[in-house]
Amino acid sequence: MLEVRNLHSFYGDAHVLHGVSLEVNSGEVVALLGRNGMGKTTLIRSIMRLAQPQVREGSLLWNGEELMHLTPHEVASRRIGLVPQGRRLFPSLSVVEHLTMLKPASAKHGWTVSRVLDMFPRLAERKNHRGNQLSGGERQMLAVGRALMIDPELILMDEPSEGLAPVMVQHLETIIADLGRTGLAILLVEQNLYSALAVANRFYVLETGKVVHAATAAEIKENQASLLRFLGVH
Amino acid sequence: MTLAGINLLQILNGLTFAALLFIVASGFTLIFGLLRIVNLAHGALYLFGGYIGYTVSSVTSSFTAGIFASIIAVALLGLLIDQGLVRFVRGFVLREVLLTLGVAYVLDDIALVIWGGDTFSVDVPTLLQGAVHIGGVFYPKYRLFVLGLGIVVFLALWLLLNRTRLGALIRAGVDDPEMAEAVGVNIRRVFLGTSMLGASLAGLGGTIGGAFLTLYPTADWEILVFSLAIVIIGGSGSLVGAAVGALLVGMLDTVGQVLFPQFAYFVIFGPMAAILAFRPMGLFGRAT
Repeated sequence: MLEVRNLHSFYGDAHVLHGVSLEVNSGEVVALLGRNGMGKTTLIRSIMRLAQPQVREGSLLWNGEELMHLTPHEVASRRIGLVPQGRRLFPSLSVVEHLTMLKPASAKHGWTVSRVLDMFPRLAERKNHRGNQLSGGERQMLAVGRALMIDPELILMDEPSEGLAPVMVQHLETIIADLGRTGLAILLVEQNLYSALAVANRFYVLETGKVVHAATAAEIKENQASLLRFLGVH
Repeated sequence: MTLAGINLLQILNGLTFAALLFIVASGFTLIFGLLRIVNLAHGALYLFGGYIGYTVSSVTSSFTAGIFASIIAVALLGLLIDQGLVRFVRGFVLREVLLTLGVAYVLDDIALVIWGGDTFSVDVPTLLQGAVHIGGVFYPKYRLFVLGLGIVVFLALWLLLNRTRLGALIRAGVDDPEMAEAVGVNIRRVFLGTSMLGASLAGLGGTIGGAFLTLYPTADWEILVFSLAIVIIGGSGSLVGAAVGALLVGMLDTVGQVLFPQFAYFVIFGPMAAILAFRPMGLFGRAT
């Protein structure tokens, strides 16, 4: 499980995360909600140990191990996958290369190219297309497939529904729910509240760099109004 | 078959010079494209490779041994420069440029101490000595060998970059190094491998070029200027760009020296400026 404790992250002098603490247990889909600029992406980038933001305080425990001193690829090698904001596919790599770059095509265990392509038949039809020749939905599928190829126990998904047509958003929700049922933990950053409600077991609301509200799906089912209030929807 | 001084001989000279330039510039563009470093020591690596190739091939009387020695020694030198120096200023373009410029001067001086200021020429094996009759002219076998080698290096690099996993990792690193690392690629190792590969191509070029352009102090700056022109024309990080750029620069230089010897550099940099005016990223470059 992932335990984020009292995380303080900075971009230069700008103090973006003010002591964020949260947990993601194995097999859980946890949604991180909040409006633009509240620090959701900063949190994801902090967990991945990317060069920016700078984390000046706090701890990131993953199955008991401190991630703070690792490089991003070392974090990934601890089986934490990333579906970044804006997909960030590699324009000069084909669909298949996005998958095989992380694991040889001959690999038989865990997630394989054929298993990912079975899950996303649209990608199978376009396997020799390059990352920048795909539609928005296909790009998102490939970003998810790329994250799966490291056989993750946890996937960090940063606004996967952003810019997708409603039918694609629904498809994505099905995929996230299916992955959650396989025992994969998912930390899902979402602006689309209803998309998050459809898949998540637990919710955190982030506001100006702090967790201001935490709730389980059951609690929200009983009292959706409180969540909406924290999100400023009502 | 002369056309205002241009004949088959000049064209072959241009092509073979282009092949040598490609070998050197392909290493330069690999490093430039992936590590985003304008490695001004690349010319010095070329010259060092040439001197090492010269010494080893003289001592062992084996041209092949000279080639392998220069490839390995310069790859290690590239590793040393990258890990010992450039690593500490990574991401600061101006510091990188100044640092590699300094390294170039230091390497030049070391070469001067070891090999002195004389001009050397790497001996080519008997098999490649002499000339062959082609299209009405006698042409040195060795220069045709260089042309063939340039093509082989192009094909090998193309296959490496486009048909192997390592190549996919390098391209992913060129596209978006942060994301490559975040999805699980040990990008530092890829950087390291690429900078060694790039350096080894400079070393190979030194020995190959040392046999027909000869080796002397300042030969490195001439090669560096050509490599820069090629990478700027072709677009940084593009292998095809380096090949087209090398062809253009090799032909323009050869033809320019025949037609307008007093404007030899202008003949290269005039067209380069014209290309940049219309394609600022180079012919095959991409905005990043």
